[in-house]
Amino acid sequence: MKIRNFIIGLAVVGLIFLFNGEIFAHGTGYRQINLKAIPLEFFYSTGEKMSYREVKVFSPKDSKFPIQTGRTDEEGRFAFIPDVSGDWKVIVRDEEGHQCEAKINLTSLSSDDDISPYRGHNVARGSMAKEAILGVSLIFNIAAFVKLFCRSKNKNAH
Amino acid sequence: MHISEGVLTNGILIAGWAGTLTGISIGLKKTNPDKIVKTALVSSAFFLASLVNIKIGVSSTHLSLIAPTGLLLGYSTFPAVFTALLLQSLLFHFGGIFVLGANTFTMGFSALMTYIIFGKLIFNSNNRKTVAVISFFAGSLAVIFAAFLTGLILYFSDKNFINAVKILFLAHVPVALIEGLVTSFLILWLKKVSPEFLL
Repeated sequence: MKIRNFIIGLAVVGLIFLFNGEIFAHGTGYRQINLKAIPLEFFYSTGEKMSYREVKVFSPKDSKFPIQTGRTDEEGRFAFIPDVSGDWKVIVRDEEGHQCEAKINLTSLSSDDDISPYRGHNVARGSMAKEAILGVSLIFNIAAFVKLFCRSKNKNAH
Repeated sequence: MHISEGVLTNGILIAGWAGTLTGISIGLKKTNPDKIVKTALVSSAFFLASLVNIKIGVSSTHLSLIAPTGLLLGYSTFPAVFTALLLQSLLFHFGGIFVLGANTFTMGFSALMTYIIFGKLIFNSNNRKTVAVISFFAGSLAVIFAAFLTGLILYFSDKNFINAVKILFLAHVPVALIEGLVTSFLILWLKKVSPEFLL
């Protein structure tokens, strides 16, 4: 009799679990939040976007281990939500070793404060052709200088 | 393939500069004053090659012309590579000033090794097919060797870079094939139209 009651009890509990599968499962949900994010855009000095590159975000609390990792989007953009004020660091790296480091100093986390636009030090956008010509010109100027130096050295030797 | 500023340890930076300064001093001693214009021309090509982007899937890379630089300049490679990388660093912010020694060493040494290993084979051969094949291997292996040296430098700076090193190496395999083709066509063309331009 006891065994029969036990089996019936077990079957009832089993049925309850069968029809209420959510009892032990973790539910998920979402809600829209209104927090101020820091959106950044990364690009090469040639103007090309740093698309789909690895991103590491370092908080002011820990400069060794990233608080967040991810990838830039097709446009080279990435955004993060800071939780403390201080110096934040965002590093974007590509497979060839090119790296862009964005340093952001947050004085306040208040959503009322306007966050001024940040601009990194490697922002030479659009002037690639001019700089390429300047570079080639400098190389030939250096060569001309070396040639003149060698010539004057040879003259002095004679 | 430029290593960025702030990545390497001081010891590796100093070693890079030591290797580069040795290469430059040997290069300057061995450079024929009559070939300075040629050195400048190749240095300019090396400088501009980094601006030629090649799309590989969602990623992109650029030419480096390591093998042609080595094959055309021989021991004068280091001064030419140093000048080009210095200007790339100043004008395009590729790499950096402190890391310039390490970057010059990886590319300059790879170029010089290409010249030492493949130079005579390419210059002494009159068979176009042989020249094409050897030049292709020279161009490809130069990139692979430079990527290997860069990876080694990163690894010795910080063992945690091992994954970055693996990605760096794999990312340069298609570049090596493209550089092999470019080197092959360039050497064949120079042998045909201006053999005196080769050493």
